[in-house]
Amino acid sequence: MDNSTPPPGGFKGGLGSIFGGGTPEYSNTELSGVPLTGMSPLSPYLNVDPRYLIQDTDEFILPTGANKTRGRFELAFFTIGGCCITGAAFGTLNGLRMGLSETRDMPWSKPRNVQILNMVTRQGASWANTLGSVALLYSVFGVAIEKARGAEDDLNTVAAGTLTGMVFKSTGGLKGVARGGLIGLAMSGLYALYNNWDHLKGKSPSHY
Amino acid sequence: MEEYAREPCPWRIVDDCGGAFTMGAIGGGVFQTVKGFRNAPVGVRHRLRGSANAVRVRAPQIGGSFAVWGGLFSTIDCGLVRLRGKEDPWNSITSGAMTGAILAARSGPLAMVGSAMMGGILLALIEGFGILLTRYTAQQFQNSSPIVEDPKQLPPKEEARGYGQYQ
Repeated sequence: MDNSTPPPGGFKGGLGSIFGGGTPEYSNTELSGVPLTGMSPLSPYLNVDPRYLIQDTDEFILPTGANKTRGRFELAFFTIGGCCITGAAFGTLNGLRMGLSETRDMPWSKPRNVQILNMVTRQGASWANTLGSVALLYSVFGVAIEKARGAEDDLNTVAAGTLTGMVFKSTGGLKGVARGGLIGLAMSGLYALYNNWDHLKGKSPSHY
Repeated sequence: MEEYAREPCPWRIVDDCGGAFTMGAIGGGVFQTVKGFRNAPVGVRHRLRGSANAVRVRAPQIGGSFAVWGGLFSTIDCGLVRLRGKEDPWNSITSGAMTGAILAARSGPLAMVGSAMMGGILLALIEGFGILLTRYTAQQFQNSSPIVEDPKQLPPKEEARGYGQYQ
């Protein structure tokens, strides 16, 4: 027959899809007007409208038994790197402050610039190394405790934090060990509390 | 454990910085354990304390040096990815060379050239080894020849099949 003159309903539906915009809505009246037998506006050879094949790109295909969130081992390097960079940033600011205060009575000349630059670089490196070491101890203890217990919960966080504090302050004797353990326990306890704040408040999180 | 894949830029910088610090601190800690043990005075307690002190003082510094290298390398790598619009081994080799050059800037231009060559050669070896490993592992997943029509030509069922056989 004469395909150049489709029925009026199909013609209007087709033009509506073309001029309607980039996001057509799939109501019944819209779908009834879309021709599916070689009359698609995209290509006359398609029997199926490819717009139906658009899927949500945020979906993941997970194997059986695999968890969606990243484990503690995957986050260890990010934690250590983040602590190093954060320590370098704060150490640089502290070095700038110390350098400016110590050379206050000097005129702006090359010795003063060199002094400030040395303070900035040394303080930045020192803070980065210290915070990186703390993060490394925490991550190693966390992964070890997780493997030993075979469970993933916040007890690992608190235990790893406490052990980190104890080891980091162990050079000061038993008093240092006790103080470091208390500091580690407090900080990791606060972090675990923050991590579970949604559960404690009774909300149901939507991103799980 | 799932396969550990690298993060996309720019989070890769933080990840590589942490990985480099870990390698430097743990590896340096092992070396400093031996060196501190040997450099301590005679006596088991003295030597153990020497090991602990050497690890405590020197391991973070070695880790920090590795972290600077890893962080700068990834920063340049991500910059090249953004500039060139592609990810290939040449990005890594160029990043290794430029990292070596930048970190040797205080020693003069001649040391910069030497460090750049060493960095480039090291990364070229790493990338080459990675490419060879990829090709070797790809051969494990090749399918065998298709099944013939006549079932009498199949091998006996009692014979055990290999892992790579997909029939």
